[in-house]
Amino acid sequence: MNKELEKLSALYDGELTHEEMQENLKKLNLDEDLKKTFHRFGIISELVQRNSEQNTSKVIFLRDYFKNLNPVMSNLVTAAATVMITLIVLYQFDDDRFQVDRDSSLQLSSAISSDLAKSQLLNADQNIMEHMIHIMQSNQSHNSQVVSKNWIPVGFSVNPNNPNQYSNGRNNLFFHFENKHLGIKKVKYFKANNNWIYLIPLNDGRLLTAYGDVPPSVANPMIQAIYKRK
Amino acid sequence: MGVSKGDEMFVKEIKAGNAMAFEAMVLKYQPKLMSSLIGYTKSRDQAEELCQKTFIRVWQKIDSFRGDSALFTWIYRIGINLAKNDFASSYTKSSKVTDSLDQAEHDVPQHLSPETELIESESEKKIIDFIQTLDTDTKTTFILREVEGRTYDEIAEILNCPIGTVRSRIFRARQLILEFIDQENILNE
Repeated sequence: MNKELEKLSALYDGELTHEEMQENLKKLNLDEDLKKTFHRFGIISELVQRNSEQNTSKVIFLRDYFKNLNPVMSNLVTAAATVMITLIVLYQFDDDRFQVDRDSSLQLSSAISSDLAKSQLLNADQNIMEHMIHIMQSNQSHNSQVVSKNWIPVGFSVNPNNPNQYSNGRNNLFFHFENKHLGIKKVKYFKANNNWIYLIPLNDGRLLTAYGDVPPSVANPMIQAIYKRK
Repeated sequence: MGVSKGDEMFVKEIKAGNAMAFEAMVLKYQPKLMSSLIGYTKSRDQAEELCQKTFIRVWQKIDSFRGDSALFTWIYRIGINLAKNDFASSYTKSSKVTDSLDQAEHDVPQHLSPETELIESESEKKIIDFIQTLDTDTKTTFILREVEGRTYDEIAEILNCPIGTVRSRIFRARQLILEFIDQENILNE
């Protein structure tokens, strides 16, 4: 019986061959109990998907999963300077100029040095993932001279001990430039734990990545200032 | 996003006039559509009626579905358009027999109590909590399918396991959840 129900589950997911599908549709058609079970699969889907939209619970699931694979990785999740385990696209920029790609979601792995983690990635955009890993792995500091003072959010100043870091005493912001757009045409931004990552394509063809615990309310004026730059 | 691999087979069969495939599709998406329509109309009765109308329209219009969007997105649009038409029509009727706007507004569906949802929120929480207790492999596989919408092939590749394992894990998750639902007497159909 379980094998039959397993096939029903696969039918629900559209994962049977054509012949199996026909066979199981016939069975379904003749059996009220199977119909009830099939319908209940639908109820479960609806419930899980609705809750996922509300709670982004997949972050927790994935964290659990990675913890089993690599406990060190799990500990790194909370470290600010690591790539985050899962990034969820958020949609808060209202300005048309900064439209966020609402259809895409991006997931990145923590533990940048782990090939295992990388191989387990569930990412929607390989280029961006590679880019983020590259940034986090890179020991090469950005050239702070190229960051226009006009871009820095009000209240932030360069950390005298670390030219890569801008801080207002409470929040920190880092910049990274790349000489390629990675196909990004609009500003995209992501949240990972308490950190935000902003991918900002510049008019000169470069990509500015700003990251830190700076929310969109603070970053929005910065992005506007960047685009106003002549 | 276009039609998923999972729905592609259903669509193909329904387009070929396979009524059994259509019934399976209705069973699959009825809960989701009902939830959306209850959210829109705030009336379970109205949602049920609209749900029926929607699936009739789906059967009639399936040939016009080009697969540019997910199947449910297309179904949802039909449902919401029917709900809008229904609302406009009932509003017009009520306006004809009433002189004041205040009276006409009584026809607008009122908010429902939580009990009218498909599953009560308290029970819903229980189910979600239960899913959290599933073993990691089962839970991850299930979530990749249900939340991420991954195909079995993709999941097998991501988790580096045979496709048969993916299939049995997903079924196992569903089976355990259904057992929990029965045990807790959550769904009284």
